[in-house]
Amino acid sequence: MSRLPAHDMGPAANAFRQEVREWLAQHWTPEQRAEHLRKPFKERGWDVEFSRLMGSDGWIGIGWPKEFGGQGRSATEQIAFITEMANAGAPVQAHNTGESIVAQALFLHGTNEQQDEWLPAIRRGERTFALGYSEPEAGSDLASLRTRAIRDDDDWVVNGQKLWSTGGDKAEYMWLAVRTDPDAKKHAGISVLMVDLRSSGVTIRPSLALYGKTFSAQFYDNVRVPAKNMVGAVNNGWKVITDALAAERVMIGGTRMAGIERAFDHLTEYLKTAVVGGKVLKADPAIRDRIGALAADIEVARQFQMRNAQLVEQGKVPIHEAAMGKVFASELQERLGQAALDILGTGGLLSEDTESAPVAEMEQVLRHAIMGMIGGGTNEIQRNVIAQRGLDLPR
Amino acid sequence: MSDAERSLLRRSVRDVLSNIWPADKAVDNSGNAEAIATLWPAMARQGLSSLGSNAAEVGLREIALVFEELGRAACPAPLLGAVGANLALATQPSNTARALLEDLRQGNATIALALGAFDGDPAAGRAETRGDRLSGKVSFVEDAQTATHFLVFLDGGVAVVASDAPGVRVEATPGLAVPAFSELTLKNAPTLRLDIPSELLADVALVARLACASRALGAAHRAFDLAVDHAKARKQFGQPIGQFQAIQHKLANCLISLDGARLALDAAAAARDNDNPDWRVFASSAVAFASPALRTVSIETHRALGAIGYAEEHEAPRHFRRVHADLARFGGVSRARAELADFLLGPVQ
Repeated sequence: MSRLPAHDMGPAANAFRQEVREWLAQHWTPEQRAEHLRKPFKERGWDVEFSRLMGSDGWIGIGWPKEFGGQGRSATEQIAFITEMANAGAPVQAHNTGESIVAQALFLHGTNEQQDEWLPAIRRGERTFALGYSEPEAGSDLASLRTRAIRDDDDWVVNGQKLWSTGGDKAEYMWLAVRTDPDAKKHAGISVLMVDLRSSGVTIRPSLALYGKTFSAQFYDNVRVPAKNMVGAVNNGWKVITDALAAERVMIGGTRMAGIERAFDHLTEYLKTAVVGGKVLKADPAIRDRIGALAADIEVARQFQMRNAQLVEQGKVPIHEAAMGKVFASELQERLGQAALDILGTGGLLSEDTESAPVAEMEQVLRHAIMGMIGGGTNEIQRNVIAQRGLDLPR
Repeated sequence: MSDAERSLLRRSVRDVLSNIWPADKAVDNSGNAEAIATLWPAMARQGLSSLGSNAAEVGLREIALVFEELGRAACPAPLLGAVGANLALATQPSNTARALLEDLRQGNATIALALGAFDGDPAAGRAETRGDRLSGKVSFVEDAQTATHFLVFLDGGVAVVASDAPGVRVEATPGLAVPAFSELTLKNAPTLRLDIPSELLADVALVARLACASRALGAAHRAFDLAVDHAKARKQFGQPIGQFQAIQHKLANCLISLDGARLALDAAAAARDNDNPDWRVFASSAVAFASPALRTVSIETHRALGAIGYAEEHEAPRHFRRVHADLARFGGVSRARAELADFLLGPVQ
């Protein structure tokens, strides 16, 4: 391997990592992986059957508290787990929104009945979610959302439109932010509903995003949602959303870093032996300089990720620290993608499904980098958070 | 040391430096040879002159921490030579070497490192011994003006030379660095040569590189703190300039660079302290990141401070000079990136 040396994450995480590898060796064989790669690109990564297999062997919710059926694993162990899954290319997208964001919110804000009903189903890989946050007029300014829910007997009746929900065309449930009090100040009138996307009145319109997978617009036309599907108190949704976001960051950061490291490994592995048109690529000082710069950046991105994990382990909620890790890693992914094009030339434009591509997935890395810079709050908003929360600069 | 002990060490070093090298006099004192000369005995009284001598208690994390504080205080104490001598001469049986170390720790001697072929900058020159005489020319020597002795790095050993020995000429080479580097010219200077494996000398030189990167971090962070305070207090167009997104994003980027450099330097130092054989790779990544990142922080800091910070009597230019001088030397970013490429791709045949 031509990668930076791994950091010793301690004996517990190392032993756990080994356990994960052994399970993957048995349950995610090269044949299964090859079969998965025969699917069209936009279908990859989301595999309900594999999620159920993981669930039945206890691999969903490893970071959940034991009282909710999890393994109570530390944040560093969770990172080790995410990294192993990503390195193996295992499809985990079907369950991971429910596992990380929804479950986290249910721990903090769910009723006992909700916890008893939803958590075991999520943990078994049997209930899949997408996030319904953004709207045509509410992106970075999420709290200005307008999708309306009005109480009618035992139901909430939802009307409105959501945008850019990753997995929205595949998931069974939407984690939906709605306005329940139009007269309150904008953060104060929001609530969260778990909406069955098979309900009458839901229209889903997927579109292809630049990175090659779908995200969806949804239209809600008098959709009836049982009142018991509201998480947290009425009009307390902003707290529910932001509490869940904090937990999400370790997971998303871990997945992104694993992808970046894997792509960089592929690039350096190729460069070790590549001769193009009689030219030994690794002898080119410009290429060596670029690779050295990226390696240093990757080490720093790892350090940000470790710090976030340690803060979570200490019971703290990383806010501006998480923003720093997100900004740095997503922009590093963009630099990696750009560098690969400069190093590989035209060949760098070829997709991972093109057999003659010198290094698979490099142009994919670049297209995917845009999502990292926009999703979960744009990097511009993150910089506001760093300045205002981290440096206490005036709003 | 534990993290808690390191916090205590940081606090005590900061206290000491605020007494012996107060920030409001740092600019005036930097040109005052007498003030600089009183620094070393004061540091020796605090035990800082033995930094690097007891690896079991004080590792690279502690060395880095002290250098960071030196950078923060814009203090030119001649500590680099002391750390280099304490590390390189630790196991020397020679009585002269032991006596020199004792003088150093008591505050009676100061040492400048002439790294020569171990500097990493191809223009750093070199020296060679013939019998008990030393000749050659070594550039970019720090603290040479006040040193009582030079420790000149050679292939497989070091030469100890008294600065007042015949055949020793020291010439200041002014530039961005304050105090200035010097050029050391040696013509058949009487010397004591001590055999030391080149691998150990290379490690000492790498420690010096990380120490200087840490000093740059301290300087960059202090100047950044000044800029953040300024952004909260300075009003233009009827509002604090720190309320403008242009300033907020600039300072947010700086914090990312500062924290990234700190985390990477800490990780490299901890790896060495824990006998991790890969510590040199982490050291290369820390320097490769910190060098361009902290220099950019320094520039951006000045942009936030505006003309107020541009006067040499302001504290900020001190830090600008320190950051650039400490990060451009020893082969700088290019060398660190090349080391990483060697590790990842293998050396060029």
